[in-house]
Amino acid sequence: MQHQLKREERPLSPRLGIYRWHATMIASLAHRASGLALVLFVPIYLWLLRGMTGSTEQFDATLLWLHSGWGKLFLWLMGVALVYHFINGIRFLCIDSGWFESRAGLRNTAVAVIATAVVAALLLPVLL
Amino acid sequence: MREMIRLSIFRYDPEKGGKPVMQAYEVPLLNNGMKLLDALNYIKWNLDGTLTYRRSCGEGICGSDGLNINGVNGLACITPIAGLKQPIHVRPLPSMHVIRDLVVDMDHFFDQYRQIQPWLQTITPVPEHERLQSTEDRARLDGSYECILCGCCTTSCPSWWWNGDRFLGPAALLHANRWIVDSRDEATGARLDQVEDAFRLYRCHQIMNCMEACPKELNPTAAINHIKRKLLARKS
Repeated sequence: MQHQLKREERPLSPRLGIYRWHATMIASLAHRASGLALVLFVPIYLWLLRGMTGSTEQFDATLLWLHSGWGKLFLWLMGVALVYHFINGIRFLCIDSGWFESRAGLRNTAVAVIATAVVAALLLPVLL
Repeated sequence: MREMIRLSIFRYDPEKGGKPVMQAYEVPLLNNGMKLLDALNYIKWNLDGTLTYRRSCGEGICGSDGLNINGVNGLACITPIAGLKQPIHVRPLPSMHVIRDLVVDMDHFFDQYRQIQPWLQTITPVPEHERLQSTEDRARLDGSYECILCGCCTTSCPSWWWNGDRFLGPAALLHANRWIVDSRDEATGARLDQVEDAFRLYRCHQIMNCMEACPKELNPTAAINHIKRKLLARKS
């Protein structure tokens, strides 16, 4: 008799580990990641504000941290996340409204927002 | 000496059990227009008869040989060898239960297709002749009716990988939209009711792998967005 495996005994074919990342997939997953980072940034931001307004010493310490390497890296990451999430959010709203909905439109706008975020990431250290 | 093509193919034998493995093969380049399916056929007929895969028409219309080719889903029969980086990694459609080698269980995929009730539904009496449709209304079905249900789009979708039990996936939703836009169909309201759900429709997160994977160059992302706009228009 032929051996038949039950559905749940059959192995699942590989997925995320093997799938090639297209620009649209990077754009979508980066939107989730940057959104999560920005939400988590809010309590940290409030904590920093509290630190700055507590006393003169705390203000100096917080200022010092923000101007340190780690502080700058943190602000840079948040800045890039904000720029990316903002422009890709507008892209998603446009697509929801039916603009850039062709195959080329979806692809090209994904490349455009990623490229803009890269430019912003390169320009941001100059401002910090 | 003929040019050789290197392939690395996903193998799984349910009788032996164990983990699936990637097996290397070398196949001669048979002609300039050689497709990936020709290479799989060469292996099966000349090198290793145990290699198992689905194929039928060989010209991209039956939708049997949907595979993951170098990381992207597509049909083996219309994918030219020439454009592929070697070794060509050939795997079954992602996130599917593997029956043997490249053959996966498509039951759930077709069950989801059945769920959207893919047939014309009417309540008005059957007219004396056929239900007519204007040329413009007929043109609105372009980009939907060409779908061959190969499963390349649905199995490329990370939302479906993670929530495939509840999210209908791009192929079923493309077909749902096909009936929603059909001027002859009279069950539009019920169809919209059925998909209006946080999971069934709204698990689409605009990853757009479906659009990139579709071997017929259709746009399931746009179809899904059209359903969302229809639902919004109905509310306002």
